[in-house]
Amino acid sequence: MATIAVPLGAEIESHEAEAVQRPALSEYLRWSVDHKIIGVQYGVASFLFFIIGGAMAMLIRLELWTPDLDVMVSGAAYNSLFTMHGTVMIFLFIIPMWAAFGNFVVPLQLGAKDMAFPWLNAFAFWLIPPAAIVVLLGYFVTPAEAGWTSYPPLSTLFSGDGQTLWALGAHLLGISSIMGSINFIVTIFNMRPPQMTIWRMPLLCWAVLATSIIAVMATPFLAGALTLLLLDRVAGTTFFDAAGGGDVLLWQNIFWFYSHPAVYIMVLPGMGVLSEVLSVHSRKPVFGYRMVGLSSMGIAFVGFTVWAHHMFTSLQPELRIPFMITTMIIAVPTGIKMFSWLGTIWGGKIRFTSAMLFALGFMSMFVIGGITGVMLAALPFDIHVHDTYFVVSHFHFVLFGGSVFAIYAALYHWFPKVTGRMMNERLGRIHFAFTYFGFLFTFFPMHIVGMLGMPRRVAVYDEAFANWNQLISFSAFVLGFSTFIVIYNIIRSYYRGPVAGANPWRALTLEWATTSPPPVTNFTDDPIPFEDPYGYGTEASAAYLDAVEAAFDGNENRTILD
Amino acid sequence: MAELTANQLHAVAHDDHGHLSEEEQNDNLKLGVWLYLASEIVIFSIMIVGYILLRINEPDVVAHAHEELGVGLVTANTFVLLASSYFMVMGLRAMQQGNRAGMLRWIGATALGGTVFLIGQYIEYSELAHLGIVLGYSESQWSTLGMRFYAPTFFHGAHVFVGVVWALEVLRRGAKGRYDHNPIGIEMFGLYWHFVDVVWIMLFTLIYLV
Ligand code: HEM
Ligand SMILES: [Cu+2]
Repeated sequence: MATIAVPLGAEIESHEAEAVQRPALSEYLRWSVDHKIIGVQYGVASFLFFIIGGAMAMLIRLELWTPDLDVMVSGAAYNSLFTMHGTVMIFLFIIPMWAAFGNFVVPLQLGAKDMAFPWLNAFAFWLIPPAAIVVLLGYFVTPAEAGWTSYPPLSTLFSGDGQTLWALGAHLLGISSIMGSINFIVTIFNMRPPQMTIWRMPLLCWAVLATSIIAVMATPFLAGALTLLLLDRVAGTTFFDAAGGGDVLLWQNIFWFYSHPAVYIMVLPGMGVLSEVLSVHSRKPVFGYRMVGLSSMGIAFVGFTVWAHHMFTSLQPELRIPFMITTMIIAVPTGIKMFSWLGTIWGGKIRFTSAMLFALGFMSMFVIGGITGVMLAALPFDIHVHDTYFVVSHFHFVLFGGSVFAIYAALYHWFPKVTGRMMNERLGRIHFAFTYFGFLFTFFPMHIVGMLGMPRRVAVYDEAFANWNQLISFSAFVLGFSTFIVIYNIIRSYYRGPVAGANPWRALTLEWATTSPPPVTNFTDDPIPFEDPYGYGTEASAAYLDAVEAAFDGNENRTILD
Repeated sequence: MAELTANQLHAVAHDDHGHLSEEEQNDNLKLGVWLYLASEIVIFSIMIVGYILLRINEPDVVAHAHEELGVGLVTANTFVLLASSYFMVMGLRAMQQGNRAGMLRWIGATALGGTVFLIGQYIEYSELAHLGIVLGYSESQWSTLGMRFYAPTFFHGAHVFVGVVWALEVLRRGAKGRYDHNPIGIEMFGLYWHFVDVVWIMLFTLIYLV
């Protein structure tokens, strides 16, 4: 007979589990070194930036409602609008948002009491507000107009002070991201209790590990490039100015050497979330656990070999084919994950919770974004659609259909752990429906206008695309509206949601083997992980889950204290 | 699956208050510094590649510069920096042997070495500026050399400066006995200082010798 390992903290705490104390809201506004507080700080701040970037997207779509220039005062104003939209979404929303879930969940899943460097953790977070102010301030001087990619000479000879602020702000955000990632790597390597072996680590931790390795190795490229860009802008150097003996392609090479790996910084954690959510909500073990963990590492390494697929039209022709090949190769580890997710839910007892719906949404959208990615990797096709709306569509399918859907899945999944209360499932489903269809009808038609030849980054376009663009803009407003539903749900559930208890989804990973929200030290003692983080459907796992429930939720009258 | 008792786990992982043990803390700090240095290598390598491209594309400019400029001062400077790395090692060893005064002396010498290096670099920069080699673009024969020379060397100099400040901080804490039982702070500084040294050897070889 197998003995069932019960989280050690549980036995001690079982008699005092009736009331759980939540941190006061004011604690979130202060310097704190508790990874759970910092996680929420990251989350709320990034969500605010999501709203700002989203409002800008609404303005973009308003401008594109008609083929003429009507909302913005000039083409230049439109340029700075999409530049800010892209910058805010990527540097201020997606990347820090993953630091939010990483911070809150990873130490708990590992069974650790905190991150390896709590002080550094707080410092990395508090770099973000000043950096954001610098970047956003740029919008009010002479704003950057060169897109989020900031190619010279647009970003050197033809941009104002806003571009300098843009570069400074991006620099600070990069430093913050490097510090955060060093912290994750050390935490994941060194802070696991002895029972948490590397092959028992939940897949979110694997994904955050791979992400952090990428961030530590790739972000300095951005830092280096930005340093040279700043020198060109303020110190009169000509690193990127061919007229002064510089090289414009140098920027493109360094920038994409960072930014292609960075797209995996933006989506790998989401893939980790997916493995968690799909497995828990369909009560099935993750299909091919080891391959999924390793494929994260594979993506991290191959991700460094594909950067020039962004430069097919500017690269030396003989280098194109090699980059086409590496780009197609990287689809393989991504495909492994896709099949793992399908295999995981296949034949499972699927519960269509909001988290599950968004996870399934991710699968359907990401596979489209993945396929258009391989299409774009095919050189002849890319030459045709380069810099058209096809590209805009592709990267929104992976960034919104991928990352943002995963962020929503993670939100519905871990909100009970963070706040101790459940989110409203009905509102969650409504939110999902609006997001899913709003998203699909915003971005799918962009493929078509793109193939028909509508260029990206223009405020004025040909009459022929007018109808498509009205459909796109209308759906974008629906998509924008969907955000209000989830904001309402968050606020309402925080105060009124049903008390969640320790483990509302009956999940096996360790973050659920403590109270919701967890105490300051996470666990009263070192917890013992179940032998398989995804071993659903066995008697042993049922016994473990019952033991967790008995330990934490034995009392019927659970309450949450604010 | 075996069941562990609370005491067993305690003994393995944590001291009585649930804090990290000193040894764990040291491991964390060291790994953290290594990762930080890995990311620094990348930034340096971008600037180094910028220089290498110049070397390949315009060998004349570099050859010309080598002819006109001596390497005496910078060679001396390199030896000072190398020596300071040695002082660093001796300082750490002294502390490990419980010799606080020795440690303070050696680390003091390290800081001094760094300072001398910076002064040397300042003298060199002013000589070069005199010859018309400047950071920004200029219509001189050196137009393409300046930025590619100053960016990596100045960036390196800034690291030496940070290292000197760090050494002074190590001295301040060391004097209070902070490292008597756990010299990890010195060790971390040492990793950084050796890194700065190694980068300099690369820059020196690349820019002044080949
Ligand atoms: C309501 C949702 C969104 C809408 C309607 C939207 C719409 C758009 C449109 C129309 C453009 C193209 C502008 C142009 O080329 O003229 C654009 C660009 C972009 N979007 Fe979005 N977007 C949304 C959400 C997001 C999200 C969530 C992300 C990333 C996480 C994102 C990242 C970007 C980036 C990086 C660009 C490129 C900016 C540039 O060209 O420099 N967007 N967006
Ligand atoms: Cu790419």
